Amino acid sequence: MTLDRAIDAMPAATPLRLRLEGWGTPITLLVVWLLLIAATGLYRPDFFAHQTVLAIAFTMSITGVLAIGQGIIGISGGFIDLSQPACLILSGLVAVRLSEAGLPLAVVFAGAIIVGMAWGALNAAIVVAAKLNPVIVTLATNFIGLAALYLVFQLEQVPNDSEIYHMGRARFLGLPVIWWPMLVLIVIVGYLVHYTRFGRRMTAVGGNRFAAKARGISLKTTRFATFMAAGGFVGFAAVLFASAAGPFNPSSAITLQLSVIAAVILAGISLAGGRGSFWMLLLSVGFLSTIPTSLVFFGLSSDNQSIFQGTLLMIAVAIDGYRARRGSP
Amino acid sequence: MRKLMPTIAVMALSVPALLGLSGIAQAQDKFKLGMAVGGNTCCEWMKAQGDVARALAEKAGWDYVELSNNNDPAIALKNAQIFVQEGVDAVIQFNGQPSANAAISAVLGAAKIPVVTYDIADPGMYFVGIDNLAAGIAGGEQLGLIMKEKWDCNPDLVISSEGAGAGIVNEWRTGGMRTGVKNICPGIPDEKYISFEGSGDAAVALPAARDLLAANPNAVKMAVVGINDGGMLGLINAAEQLGRADEVIGWGQDGAFITGDNVNPHLAGSVFYFLEGYAVYAIRDVIGPIAEGKDVPLKADPGDPASKVQPCPVSAEQAKAVPDMPERVVALLAAPAGTTEYDLFCPNK
Repeated sequence: MTLDRAIDAMPAATPLRLRLEGWGTPITLLVVWLLLIAATGLYRPDFFAHQTVLAIAFTMSITGVLAIGQGIIGISGGFIDLSQPACLILSGLVAVRLSEAGLPLAVVFAGAIIVGMAWGALNAAIVVAAKLNPVIVTLATNFIGLAALYLVFQLEQVPNDSEIYHMGRARFLGLPVIWWPMLVLIVIVGYLVHYTRFGRRMTAVGGNRFAAKARGISLKTTRFATFMAAGGFVGFAAVLFASAAGPFNPSSAITLQLSVIAAVILAGISLAGGRGSFWMLLLSVGFLSTIPTSLVFFGLSSDNQSIFQGTLLMIAVAIDGYRARRGSP
Repeated sequence: MRKLMPTIAVMALSVPALLGLSGIAQAQDKFKLGMAVGGNTCCEWMKAQGDVARALAEKAGWDYVELSNNNDPAIALKNAQIFVQEGVDAVIQFNGQPSANAAISAVLGAAKIPVVTYDIADPGMYFVGIDNLAAGIAGGEQLGLIMKEKWDCNPDLVISSEGAGAGIVNEWRTGGMRTGVKNICPGIPDEKYISFEGSGDAAVALPAARDLLAANPNAVKMAVVGINDGGMLGLINAAEQLGRADEVIGWGQDGAFITGDNVNPHLAGSVFYFLEGYAVYAIRDVIGPIAEGKDVPLKADPGDPASKVQPCPVSAEQAKAVPDMPERVVALLAAPAGTTEYDLFCPNK
C-alpha cells in the first residue's frame, strides 16, 4: 500500500470539539470537583482523611437516591416534582412504624417504597385527569401532604435498637452502608434509561411528546409509570433518611429539595425533558455534597452552602437553557 | 278573642327570645380565654400547651378559644385580631416569631385585652416563662461537672448546636450553657468553644454536624450543648455515623429526648422546662386573678416576670424516673389547682 492510499484509507480526523461532544459537562464537573478537593486539601491537608470521605458519602446517600426520582420526572418531561419532601416524610413515617413493629428490613423497605409509589400515582392521576402542570400539582400535593403530616405527628424516630437504626450507622468497605444502594441504583437506572425500551420511551416522551404519541407511545401510561417510579425512589430514600436522620419532623426534609434539584440540573438532565445521563448524578451529587464540607474546612459555616448552591443552580440552569437552544446534548 | 290572639302569640314568641337573650347575657358574663399556640411542627409540647390551657379553662368554667400561630408572624397578628372579634377577656400566646409581638401587643392593648406571653418577652405582655439564661447555666454547670470528673476539665472541644432563628433565646440558652461550663471549668481556652447552626432540629443539624466533626479529626474529648435536645442530638448522631460517638458527651435543653425508652446513650442530661404545663403558671398567677376581677400589675421583664418557671436540670439516670409528656399532662391535670410539673416531677428540687 502506498503512502497516499494509506492516508486515503484512514478515517477522517475528527475535530476535537466533535470528539468531546457530550463529554463536556462530565469533564467540566469532574475538573471543578477535583479543583475543589485539591484547593481544600492544600488549605487543610487533613481534608484528605477517611472522616471527610464518610461525611461526604453520608450526605450523598439520600440526595443521590432522591435525585434519581427527580431526574426521572425531569427527563420524561414532567419538569420537577416539588412534592418530594412530603413523600419522603410520609414514607419515612411508614418506615418508622414498620420498624417499631419489629418487622424485618426488607418489609420496611417494601412498605416505604409502596407508599412512595402510591404518592407518585396520586400525583400522576391528578396531572393526567385534570390535565394540570405537574409543577403546580406537586407543589400543591406537597403543601397538602405536609399539612396533613403535621396533624399526624410532631416527631418520629426509629428505635435505637432496630435494624434500620444500625443500618444508618454501619459501614461496608469503609463507606456508609447507605451509600452503596445509591451507587447501585444510579448505575442501574443509568443503564435502564439508555438501553431499555421503557427508558427510551420515557426519554422520547420528554423530548417530544407529539412525536412520541405519533409513534404509538401512550403518554398517560408513561406519565403514570414515571411518577410511580420516581415515588418509589423517594420511598427508598425515605428508609435511608429514617435510618440516618435521627428524630425528624414533617419539615425536616424541606432543606433537601434545593440540593436535589441542583444535582439533577448540574448532571445535565434537562428539566424540559428528553436528554441527560443518570450516571452523571454521581458527579453532581458528589460535587454538591463536597461543597459544605469544604466550607467548614475553610473555616466557613456550612449554612453558607445555600449561597454556593443557589449560585451554582443559576449557572447550571443558564447552561441548561443554552444547551437547549443549541440543541446539543 | 281576636284581639287576644296576637297578644298570646307575641308572648309565646317572647319566651324563647328572652331565654336567648338571658343566655347571651350569661355567655357574656362568662370569662373567655384565648390561646394562640406556637404551631411549630418541631415540638409536641406546643400542641400540648394548648391542651393543658383548654383543660384548665374548662375546669375553671371559662369559655376557651384556641388558634395556632403556625410559627408565622403574619398569622400570629391575624390571630390577635380574631381574638378581639371573638371578645376574649384575656389571651395566652406562645409566639416563636417575635417580630410580630409589638403589633400583637398594640392590637390587643387597644382592645384592653391582657396578654400573657410564654418565654419571649414583650413590653406590653405579662411574661411567663423560664429564665432561659439560668436554665442554660444550670445545664452547663452539670455538663461541666461531668467534664471535670471525666476529662479533668480538659476537653478538646466544647461544641454548641445553635438555633439562630430563636434569636435571644438561643443566645441565652447556648451562651448560658457555655457560661455554666466555664463556671466549673474556667481554664478551657476560648478557641476550644466552637459552634454550628443546627436549627434546633436533629435531622437538619446532622449534615452540618458531620462536616464539623470531619473538620476536627483529632478531637477525641468533645462536650456538646444545644438550644434544645434535638439540635444537640444532631451532633451525637453525626458522631455515631463517623464512629466517634464515644468521644462525645451531650447535655441538652428542654428535655424532649431524655425520657421514654428510646434515649440516646450519649445524651448525658438535659434541662426540663415542662413546657407543656406553662398554663398552670399563667392561670395561677395572671389569668385567674384577672378573671376574679383583681388588678394584676403588668410584669413584662424576664428578670422580674409575672410568673417564673423553674428550670430542672436532670441527668439521664434521673430522667428515667420522669414520665413521658402525655403521662405528665394527665398527672398535672389531676393535681390540685396551681400545682406545677416542677413540683410533681423534678428530681432536683
